[in-house]
Amino acid sequence: MAISDNLAEKEALISVSGLKKYYNKGKIKALDGIDAEILPGEVVVVIGPSGSGKSTFLRSLNLLEPPTEGTIVFDGVEITDRHCDINLHRQKMGMVFQHFNLFPHKTILENMTIAPVHVKHMSKKEAEEKAHELLKRVGLDDRWNAYPIQLSGGQKQRVAIVRALMMEPQVMLFDEPTSALDPEMVGEVLEVMKELALGGMTMVVVTHEMGFAKEVGSRVLFMESGRLIEEGTPKKIFEHPESPRLQDFLSKILQ
Amino acid sequence: MSISAEGFEKVLRYAELFRQGMICTVSISALTVFFGFFLALLLAIMRLSKVRIFKFVAATYVEVIRATPMLVQLFIVYLVVFSGIKLPDMTIFGFIKFDRFFPGVVALALNSGAYTSEIIRAGIQSIDIGQTEAARSLGLTQFQNMRLIVLPQAIKNILPAIGNEFVTIIKESSICYTIGVQEIMYGVKAAQSATFIIAEPLLIAAALYFVLTFPTSKLIGYFERRMRRGDIR
Repeated sequence: MAISDNLAEKEALISVSGLKKYYNKGKIKALDGIDAEILPGEVVVVIGPSGSGKSTFLRSLNLLEPPTEGTIVFDGVEITDRHCDINLHRQKMGMVFQHFNLFPHKTILENMTIAPVHVKHMSKKEAEEKAHELLKRVGLDDRWNAYPIQLSGGQKQRVAIVRALMMEPQVMLFDEPTSALDPEMVGEVLEVMKELALGGMTMVVVTHEMGFAKEVGSRVLFMESGRLIEEGTPKKIFEHPESPRLQDFLSKILQ
Repeated sequence: MSISAEGFEKVLRYAELFRQGMICTVSISALTVFFGFFLALLLAIMRLSKVRIFKFVAATYVEVIRATPMLVQLFIVYLVVFSGIKLPDMTIFGFIKFDRFFPGVVALALNSGAYTSEIIRAGIQSIDIGQTEAARSLGLTQFQNMRLIVLPQAIKNILPAIGNEFVTIIKESSICYTIGVQEIMYGVKAAQSATFIIAEPLLIAAALYFVLTFPTSKLIGYFERRMRRGDIR
């Protein structure tokens, strides 16, 4: 595909090398040496059986899980360096969680404005205008004054996505964004993610939604036992899987 | 035992002592709550920090305070710690002797801080780690996360326990009469010695403590309901 040719020439936005994450003094190897690159504009979908380390991988990209070993370079800066101010770089990496993690004591609007106001020192008025604009985009502007508990799961996750977008991130990390949703709400969240991808947002998505991976993903990474086993275009991964483990995994989920 | 209207009448000639006692009790309690809370916050954060020495110091402090009687702590603070420190010879509101009042506040705050820190620690730990992860992923610092996200939610959860502690402080402050702080119990003693009436001053004191503690718990109940706005579906 022509798109992937173009991507190959671009400089990586995130570049991961030798990433390891051990627990219990090395007894558990959640990540066992990962090398990967995320290029600008790419939608990278990470798949794999549960416990394969895909969430740990995603969460180490913004150092929510500090890696045991290895380096991560984001936007030209080595964020795994001890002296690096991670707060500065996290602003540029939006993250969406499985369990939404909206702030229950804040209204929807406050959820969205808290980071721009306190981290970017944006004026409250400006932040609120921007929040209303983004809420309109996901069809939730009428709920701006509600509290998170008053929203459905799908609505919460849409708010969580635009809350992250408030910071104008260069990349969006999605950690199983639809896994905690009722089946009828998965679609509305995937729709927002798809629009985001079409708008050119760089995305790293850990998901079990193979349909999304096929349709929206520009590249798929398959992980198992803390290792990156196979990667390629969705077409290659789903139609011509090479490694037996990927074949096994696909046969299980696609039945 | 005899309780009579006449007795009350005689004792109430010393109403001024009770009025002063009440002002003093309120002052001690308010200051204790204030300083105790910040000490507690500091201790709770030390206890939850990753630095071992902080953890150890905070844990040891809390254990020692909880394992020794308040009266002993008060005497140690007043007779030992402050024996070498010259406090200014002044009065507050014209009658509270600062050199007795201040050690009283210090002792109560040191004690209350230890208990409250355990409440706060439990409150912080009750907040889902996902809240912190979301806040940090948005670029908030550890401090901002505590101040804006974790503590407001934690305090909501622990408000009943904190309120209980405030009420306890108002009552416990009566112990300060043993070092000559002119709070309510001091007024009782003075009225008893002047009139040789035992029961009535005590009943008045009990009523005054009730008047102070009951509205406090009501007020905290009000804040509790107000902070629950985010829970209404």
